[in-house]
This record gives sequence, C-alpha cells and structure tokens, in this order.
Amino acid sequence: MTSSTLMASGLSVGDVAAAPALPDVLAPRKQRSRIGMFMYRHPTIFVGGLLVALIVAIALLAPLLFTTDPTALAPARRTRAPSAQYWFGTDMLGRDVYSRVLYGSRISLIVGFSVALLASVVGLTIGLLAGFIRILDTVVMRVMDGLQSIPGILLAIALMALTRASVENVIVAIAVTQVPPVSRLVRSVVLSLREQPYVEAAVAAGTRTPIIILKHILPNTLAPVTVQATFICASAMITEATLSFIGAGTPPIIPSWGNIMAEGRALWQVKPYIVFFPAIFLSITVLAVNLLGDGLRDALDPRLAKRI
Amino acid sequence: MFAYAIRRILATIPVMAIVALFVFSLLYLAPGDPAAIIAGDQATPADVDRIRISLGLDRPFLIRFGEWAWQVLNGDLGVSIFTNLPVTHMISQRIEPTLSLMSLTLIFSISFAIPMGVLAAWKQGAWIDRVVMVVAVLGFSVPVFVVGYILAYAFALQLDWFPVQGYTPISVGILPWFQNLALPSLALGLAFIALLARITRATMLEVLSQDYVRTAKAKGVDQRAILFVHALKNAAVPIVTIIGIGFAGLIGGAVVTESVFAIPGVGRLVVDAILRRDYPVIQGVVLMFSFVYVLVNLAVDLLYTLFDPRIRY
Amino acid sequence: MALLEVENLQTHFATLDGVVRAVEGLSFKIDAGETVAIVGESGCGKSVTSMSILRLIQEPPGKIAGKINFRGRNLLDLPDVEMRKIRGKDISMIFQEPMTSLNPVLTVGRQIGETVRLHEGLTAQEAEKRGIEMLGLVGIPAPERRVKEYPHQLSGGMRQRVMIAMALACNPKLLIADEPTTALDVTIQAQILDLMRDLKTRVGAAIMLITHDLGVVAEMAERVVVMYAGRKVEEATAVQIFGNPQHPYTRGLLGAVPKLGSSLQGHGRTKLTEIQGQVPSLRQRIVGCAFASRCPIVTDVCRQVAPAVEAKTPGHYVACHYAERAVAA
Repeated sequence: MTSSTLMASGLSVGDVAAAPALPDVLAPRKQRSRIGMFMYRHPTIFVGGLLVALIVAIALLAPLLFTTDPTALAPARRTRAPSAQYWFGTDMLGRDVYSRVLYGSRISLIVGFSVALLASVVGLTIGLLAGFIRILDTVVMRVMDGLQSIPGILLAIALMALTRASVENVIVAIAVTQVPPVSRLVRSVVLSLREQPYVEAAVAAGTRTPIIILKHILPNTLAPVTVQATFICASAMITEATLSFIGAGTPPIIPSWGNIMAEGRALWQVKPYIVFFPAIFLSITVLAVNLLGDGLRDALDPRLAKRI
Repeated sequence: MFAYAIRRILATIPVMAIVALFVFSLLYLAPGDPAAIIAGDQATPADVDRIRISLGLDRPFLIRFGEWAWQVLNGDLGVSIFTNLPVTHMISQRIEPTLSLMSLTLIFSISFAIPMGVLAAWKQGAWIDRVVMVVAVLGFSVPVFVVGYILAYAFALQLDWFPVQGYTPISVGILPWFQNLALPSLALGLAFIALLARITRATMLEVLSQDYVRTAKAKGVDQRAILFVHALKNAAVPIVTIIGIGFAGLIGGAVVTESVFAIPGVGRLVVDAILRRDYPVIQGVVLMFSFVYVLVNLAVDLLYTLFDPRIRY
Repeated sequence: MALLEVENLQTHFATLDGVVRAVEGLSFKIDAGETVAIVGESGCGKSVTSMSILRLIQEPPGKIAGKINFRGRNLLDLPDVEMRKIRGKDISMIFQEPMTSLNPVLTVGRQIGETVRLHEGLTAQEAEKRGIEMLGLVGIPAPERRVKEYPHQLSGGMRQRVMIAMALACNPKLLIADEPTTALDVTIQAQILDLMRDLKTRVGAAIMLITHDLGVVAEMAERVVVMYAGRKVEEATAVQIFGNPQHPYTRGLLGAVPKLGSSLQGHGRTKLTEIQGQVPSLRQRIVGCAFASRCPIVTDVCRQVAPAVEAKTPGHYVACHYAERAVAA
C-alpha cells in the first residue's frame, strides 16, 4: 500500500528535507501504576484515610489491645509514670491511662461522626427548603444569620448548661452550631443549580419539585456536603474535647480524651504524661480527618478548593 | 460610601435582635426542666422553685422576653445566682484581661499569618510553602488547650522564659503584662494563624493567576511590588472577611486559654459559672460576646470600602 | 541585525498528564518598525510564544529553551533584574482581555504612572502628568478626570486604550499585541486598530500582532507567520500569504474565511470550507508532519518525516514536503 501512494506523489523518505530533531526540554514523566497515580495526586486522602482507618480499628479493637478496665480504680498505684506495665502511666485515681486513651477514641469518633451526620442531614434539609421556597428563604436565612452570630463553643456551653451531661446532649449541642454553615452551603448550591439550563428545562417541562430536588439538586450537593461534613467531624472532636476539658461536656465518668485531660489538668506541671497521651491521640485523629477533608475537597470540588 | 455604611449599620440591628431572641429562647428550647438542672441533683424542690422564679420560667415566654429585652437594652444582663451580683458588673471586672489577650493575639496573628500566606503563595510548592501548609493543618488539628500546655511546658516550666500562668494588669507595666500574655496569645493565635495563613495563601494564589498580575509583570514590576501592591490589595476583602468570621473561634479559644493559663478574664468567668451552674452569667457572657462578634463583622464590612473601590452601594 | 530573533524556541509545560509541548522549535525574526502577525487557531502556541518572549511563563512548571535574541542579547540568559528592565520599556505588551487585564483596585493613572516611574524614575507627580498625556494621546476624553478613575468606571474600548497608553508610555521598541481587539465590539475594534497603526508610526515601534482574525492580519501586517501545533508552518509577506498560500493549513485557514460578496447558494459560489480532523495532542512527541492528521494531500512520507522549514521562493518559507506541488495544483 505504501509504494503506490509514494509512487503517485513522486516523493520518498530519502528525497525530503527533514526538520532537525529537538531535544527534550523537560524530563519525561515516569510511568505510575493507577494506585501510584492516585497517591501522587491525592496524598492527603491516602495518608488521612489510612490514619482514620487505624484510629477506627483501635476504637473497635480496644478490648483486644492489651487494655484493662478503663474505669477500674486502684488508689494504691496512683500517678505512676509510664512503664512496661502501665504504658502511658496511671492517673490520680490509679486508672490505666493507656486503656482510658484507647477506649476514649470511641467517644471522639462517635461524637465526630454523629455530629457530622446530624448537622449534614439537618443542614441539607434546611438548605434545600430555603433554596426552593422563597418565603422560607428570608426567614430561615435570618435565623441562620443569628445562630451563626453566636460563637459556636459559647452556644454549646449554654446548651450544655441547660441539659444533663450526656454524650447525646453533647452531640446535639455541637451539631446545632454546625447547622448554619451547612444550610448556607446547600442553599448556595441550590440557587446556582436552579439557574442551570437543564434544571430550568426540567422546571419548564413541568417536572414536579420533589423530583427535581431528588434527580438534579441532591446529587450535586452531595460532594460539597461530604467535604463539609468531614471538616465538621474534625472540629466536633475538638469541640467535644474542649467542652469536656472545661467541664461542660461528656459526663466525667466516661473516659473521653477531653475528660482524661481535664482530670490530668491539676497535675500537668508534675505529671504531664496524663495530659500528653490523650492530647497526642486527639491531635493525630483530628489531623487525619482534616487531611482526608482537604484531599476530598481537592478531588471532589476543585471550585471549593479555590475558595478556602 | 456613606449610604453603604448606614445600610450596613442598620442591617446589624435585626441580626442582634435575632441573636438576643435566640440566646433568650435557649432556656425554653432546652429539653427537660432547666430550673431543676441548674439547681443540681442535691437541690430541694424549694430551691428549684426559687431558681424557676428568678429565671422567670413561671411566666409566659413573650412577656418574660419583653421584660428581659428591655433590661438588656438598658444594660442590665441579670443577676448571678451564685454571687447575687449584677452580671454586667462581674463582666466589667473581668473584661481587661480578656480584651488584652484577644487584641494581642489578633495583632500578632495578623502580622504573622498574612506574610506567611503571601510567602507561601509566592513560593508555591517550595519548602516554605510546605512548612506553612503543615503549620496551617496542624493549627486546625491541635486543640488550643493542648497548644497551651505544650508552650507552657516548654517555655515556662523547662526554659523559664515566661511565667507559667497568671495575669498582670497593663497599668502595672507593659513588660510584665506582655510577659504574662505572650504564651497565652501564642497558644490562642495558632489556630487563627492557621486559618488566616491558609486563606491568604489560597486568595493570593487566585489573585496571582489573574490577568492584571500578568499585566504588572509585563510592565517590569518587581516581585515584591506585585505581591504587596498589586495582589495583596485585591486579596484583602476575602482576608478581612475571614478575620471577621474567625473572630468567633478566637472568642471560644479565649475561654479555654484563660483556663489553661489561669487568666482572670471573662472566659474564666464562664468556666466557673459552668461549674457553679450559674446560668444568668453564662447567658450574659454569651450575649455580650455575640454582640461583639456582630460588631466586629460590621467593622469588617465597613473596611471593605477601603480596599475595593467597586463597593459603593 | 533584526530587532527580535527567535531561534528554535521550545516552551514546554510539566503537567500531571505529561509534558505539553506548547511551542516546538519555532524560529522567526522581526525587524525594527515592522509589523509581523502570528496567526493560527486557538491552542497553536501563539500566545505562549508571546509570553515566552517576555519570559512571563512560570518556570516551573513551564520551561523555555532555544534563543530569543533582542537587539543582540539573548533574553533567556538575562538575570531577572535585567529582564525586568526590558519588560514594559523595550518590549511591552497588550493583552486580549481589557476587562480583566487592568488591576481593579488601582487607579488608571497609577497603573500608567507605575511604568514610567519604574523605568524612567519619575516622581509621582511627573508620572501622573505623563499618565494624563498618554490618556490624551490614545484619545480618551477628559484625561485629567479619567486618570483618577478605576478600571470599572471605563468601558471595554476605553480600557483597551488605557492598556495601549500603558504599553506605549516608555516608547518601546517592540509592542506585542495579543489578540488586542478580540474582546471588543466591531466598531471599537476598527478604532483600536487605527490607533495602533497611528501610534506605531509616531513611536516607531515594531509590532508583533498575535491574532486568529485574518481580517486584522490583512489590515495591519507586513509579514505573517502561520503557526500550527506549536510550529511554524509558513512565513511570508502578507501579500504572498493571501495571494499565494503554500501550506495546506494556510489554505485551509483562508478557505474558512467567508469572502464579502460571496453567496452560499447558486453557481460560482465560494465554498466555506472547514479543516477536517483534530489538532494532534501536544502531550506526545509528534512523529512526522504535525498537520498530517488533517491534511488533504497527506502521504506516508508526511507521516514519517517532519518537514523542514524551507524557502520555496525568496522570503517565503513553508514547512511542507509538497509545497511546490501545492502551487501546481
């Protein structure tokens, strides 16, 4: 096949002037496997995800990880320094700090995930309603303005002062403070989506509002809400610890990281390890969730990534 | 410009009204009997009734709200259950340390974070950018009281550069005042620095990719003038917005920081009130800080006109 | 000696998907006072070329190689400080988007004045005076008032005039105009082109005009460089390009312009042709002729050997194995 066309054109490779070859200005990129590529593009999802998985595993497997009863008192062995027997030492009441810290991860994770879920669901509902019902929009957004004007921790403190200390009440109190940002986010997504030609077309074609919300709006809000929920989870864990630390959080008998630190407070100058170990675990957990959130945001919502 | 300012100022009034309504309603929205909870587990029924009457829970919501709102407008935030002193009096006694802590934190966070963010954006991807981003993520992830303890342990207990805790009024002397506040404001500022550096970096990156920055480069403008004259002024609006929004975190953090460093401020007042179940104090402080927060954001709105000539309405 | 001599310019970008070879081995010259148009479809590398000359490409992720000799000095070898002295003074640039190319938070006067303050060391007052002068020169009414205004208070055409005033404030030797009229209304386009032609003779600058609009080329350019996929495929005087296009791509481009008075129906019509196929991906090294995938007269030789740029007649350069044959056809 080649000979005939070349004959027709009358030229062959030897007859023509070739352009000079050009060097590589930049080194060619090395080939990566698909997993390698994912790690390269989203290192924070990878690292954050791995750490979160590790903490979840610790929380689930706490009884198997050489722990003892985290609430068992033993006045005889109070405030022991970390040793082979008591890895993280013991607290003022002789309780094993290692066991308390490991069990404490459960509280932080439960609070973090529950607040994220609760605030997302409520915020999503409010945001969708506000975005679709004009009369509601003004009222709801004014209320959200007001709610958002009360500094979150103070609002949670006030709520906790009026209810009995329990993990459930902590979850609700923190979730209340996180609802306004979620509903605001969802509302803004809804308002911009409503302008989209395909949504306008669906409205013009007489599609019923619930169907439009379900088919066109909800799927598009999921990515930004997931990202937001991840950050809420991280900040809820910090808030829980803070509330417990100042005595407005989880009941003191429950070993949460905030409570362990609150109890270690009095002795922190002489026995810093009681505060140190829960602080490290809390910080790493929050860091992991934040990293995951950063990565998810970059991966799911590049526009949002630019804004924050 | 003037009309814009008036409109902004007027717009804060309904927000404050809603905040007040909200703070007041908490008593009624809380599940269970708040009087019983505030009275505590050992209280007699007579104690509970006394608290119920003192909180006005025995009367209809709207009437009680009207009375309370009138009191607030007249500068009366109620009376402490524990000390029987007016809440405004208790707050005013404790305001100086809190004000000192927050203004010092604000000043040095802003003067650290903005150059950090600008530098990181300029050297995007370089080691300095990575350091700033690591600091930013860490600042979000380590609770303020943990930072406080780490700083106090290192710089007060081990190195003995600063006092471990306490507060010296500014009237005693600037230096002791500063020495006492240095570590607390550093601890309180870290999360704020993280937030601010991050937003500065992100906004600067966005601005630096704009066409007008390319124009400035094509004119031969040097890097420093591009960053600080052409770009930063354009990035100013998002940055001051975040300063305003982040102020809420600063308020919350101050409450905790004062506990860690034993600073006798309004934050300590709240924490003590929690332990004593002194709800009127909590309510008064929450309301005051919320108003401060609204006013800070009003100031931010008014600042916009300084940075962006397009805002004129 | 030519004013500007670009030799074997290569501008590449490292991206996550691989190296993009935006400009690959481009060479051309601009003489003092001459207007040269660089034409091609969007994405052919013409804007990257202009940015490369002023070294406005971020390095990394970009990388510029080759030679850019301006008045005998290779700009790619200059330290940043020296390069900044050239930008805005010897070589200045007008951009496509007048709406976004001016800084929204600085006054027009400040932005024009900045250039002269930088390069001529004028004081703020002198710079403002020059700003007013320049605004008058580019035909903005009431320059004393306009100089204190912000870009958002001006129309698109006015803003492009401000850009021109800024670019010419230091009497540059070379003005690079990147699609200067694309974003403007047709009537404003004509005014801006007139203004550029007028000022060019007054200032004596050479113009490198980047455009995809052959109408603008016909009106302004003395010489034309046609780019495709980051390469030069043809270069000749404007007369030769319009009268005797050699490269099949150039002919495709010219064929895609509807001619005034031609009818789309009936006999003797001028067919509105379009070039079939897609521009090759710049992420891979292209073997053979870059235009092979869309060329109507492609052969196997084209797919194997990239054509050298050769002078087919004096001053008329073409990168096509079949250039002479194309003339005969």
